[in-house]
Formats: sequence, C-alpha cells, structure tokens
Amino acid sequence: MFERLLNQTNAPVLERMLKFTAARQKLLAENVVNVSTPGYRQKDLSLEKFQGMLRERVEQRDHNGLGSTSFDDLEAQLENPQRGMLFHDGANRSMEQLMTDQAKNALMHNFVIELLRKQFQTMEMALKDRPV
Amino acid sequence: MIDGINNLASGAGIGGSPASKPAAPTTGGTNFSDMLSKSIDEVSRLQQDASQAVDNITTGKSEDVDGVMTAVEKSDLAFKTLLAIRAKLMDAYEEIKGMPI
Amino acid sequence: MFDVLDMGASGLTAQRTRLDTIAENLANVYTTHNAKGEKEPFRRRFVVLGPGRAGDPQKSGVHVQKIGLDPSPPIPKYEPGNPDADANGFVNYPNIDMSIEYINALEASRAYEANVTMMEVSKSMINSSLRLIA
Repeated sequence: MFERLLNQTNAPVLERMLKFTAARQKLLAENVVNVSTPGYRQKDLSLEKFQGMLRERVEQRDHNGLGSTSFDDLEAQLENPQRGMLFHDGANRSMEQLMTDQAKNALMHNFVIELLRKQFQTMEMALKDRPV
Repeated sequence: MIDGINNLASGAGIGGSPASKPAAPTTGGTNFSDMLSKSIDEVSRLQQDASQAVDNITTGKSEDVDGVMTAVEKSDLAFKTLLAIRAKLMDAYEEIKGMPI
Repeated sequence: MFDVLDMGASGLTAQRTRLDTIAENLANVYTTHNAKGEKEPFRRRFVVLGPGRAGDPQKSGVHVQKIGLDPSPPIPKYEPGNPDADANGFVNYPNIDMSIEYINALEASRAYEANVTMMEVSKSMINSSLRLIA
C-alpha cells in the first residue's frame, strides 16, 4: 500500500538517479586517488547511457500509467573510458575532465535531492492538511 | 457566505479569472463547487507539469533547470493556496456551526 | 556511504608519502656517505603506488606498494681536493636531479589538492543527502 502511494509520483526516478550519482562519485574519487598509480585504468559510469535507460522506463511508465513500472533494477554499466592521454606507464589520466565530471555529478546529486525533498514535502502537506 | 468567498476568490485571481474583474456581487456567476473543482484541477495540472519537467531533466531530455524549478515552485504554491482556502472554509464552517440560533 | 572519504584519505596519505620521499631526496642531494659513515653515495628513492587500500587490496583506493631505490649510477664530479675523491679525483654524488624532483613535488602537491577537492565535494553531497531527513 505504501509502496503504491510512493510510486504515484516520480520519486522512483529520482531515487534511481540518486543511486547513480552516489556510485559515480565514488568511481570518480577512485580515479583521482589513483592518478599517480602506474597502469591504472579509469572507471566511470556514463550519465548519458543511464539517462537513456531511464527515459525508456519513463516512456513505458507513461504508457502503462503511474506506478506500473519498476525502476529498481536499472543499473549503469561500468566503463573504462579512454580519455586524456595515454602515458608511458599505460595509465590514462585527465585531471581536468575528472574535476569537471565530479562537479557536474555533485550538482546533479544536489538538484535531485532538492526535487525529492520538495516531493516529500508536498506529500507531507497533503497528509497533514496544512502547509509545512 | 459562499457568494462572498466566491467574490474573494475571483478577486484574488483564483479559479482562473483575472484579477481585473471588480468584486461586484456575482449572482449567476460560477458557483462555489465549480470553482473549487476547477482550482483542484488546476493544481493537479500544475503538479503534472512539474512532474513532467522533473522527468525530462532527470532523463536528459531537457537542460532547463530554471524551468523545472519554476514549475515545481508554482505547483507547490498553488497547492499551498488550495490548502489555505480549505482551512479558511473549514474555519468559517465551524464558526457558523457554533452560532446560537 | 562514508567509504568515499576513506578512499580520499588513502590518496592523501599516498601523495604525502611521495612528497616526503622527494623531500628526503632533495635533502640528501650532496650526501656521499651512508648511515654507517662508509663512503657510499645516497641512492635516489621513489614511491611506487598500487591500486587498492593498504592492508585491504579489495577496497578501492590507493596505497604505497614500496619505496624503491633508483638503480642508475651515481654522478661523478671532478673535485680533486675533496677527501672523498677517488684516485682520478672524482667524487661520486647521488643520482638525484633537482629539476626532476621539483616537477614530481609539484605533481604530488597538485594531486593532493585534487584529492582534497574531491573529498570536499563528496562531503557536500553526503550533507545534502542528510538534508532529506532534516
């Protein structure tokens, strides 16, 4: 019953996005930490691909009605992007790209948090029958 | 009483009619229940718009962050207004109920 | 959830060790004797980093695998008046190139800064997540 109540909004989409940004932040931090490790290959999750997967699900949900589609099984694929230059030790690193990516990722995370908060707040208002 | 609230509502621009209309007695205008259901529909529509905008930005369809924020704030404000009107109405009802006849 | 901070800390430790090693190299750039007082020029040290946390390679992060000795030969300098000079008047000085050490130091301190920034951002993300319940 409560699951259904929550699935009436787009909270599941936001939740998935939150999981994604948290996982990506960890990988980006790992890349920065290993910037001087010889032979280290960077790991990343592609935001564009994940958004593509989300979009498909959202379209499916819009077609079948709210609460009909589960988002829980969406997982982003781990990638080893080849960006920056390949050093002699086999490591590829681009600090600038990493820093930009983590800034974007954090912004997305905070944005999604704000939206989710707003959504919960509205639900709470409806329940309490007065503005919170 | 209901007519009075109706005037107030149309004066405040709730129910879709613009605020330019003077608060004249609206005999024969829209009745209260119509107005109420209309504003509920409107709040619901605003919420759907906001939800659509949020979906679009999380799935990467649009990059319009300000647009999403405005839509979300709008729906929030509309919902709060509806709640406030409802609270006022309930107050009025309680008051009338407690009136000695 | 807080693992990302531990990971950042492992990066800070690794880069700090790198800087320490560089400082040691620079300090010993003219050292021609070893700790026992025998005539042996100081050998350049360098840090080898490996992926995975120290003591737990399964955890993501970085650790110092070993501190290696540079096998390249010492740099001979002609100083016939020096008591350490050999029969031909050459003194063997450590195989340390100051400019390389400077560049490495710069890189290490930049990597250290990048790690700090990363930790700050991760912290702010966790903080905003906490705001969900506040």
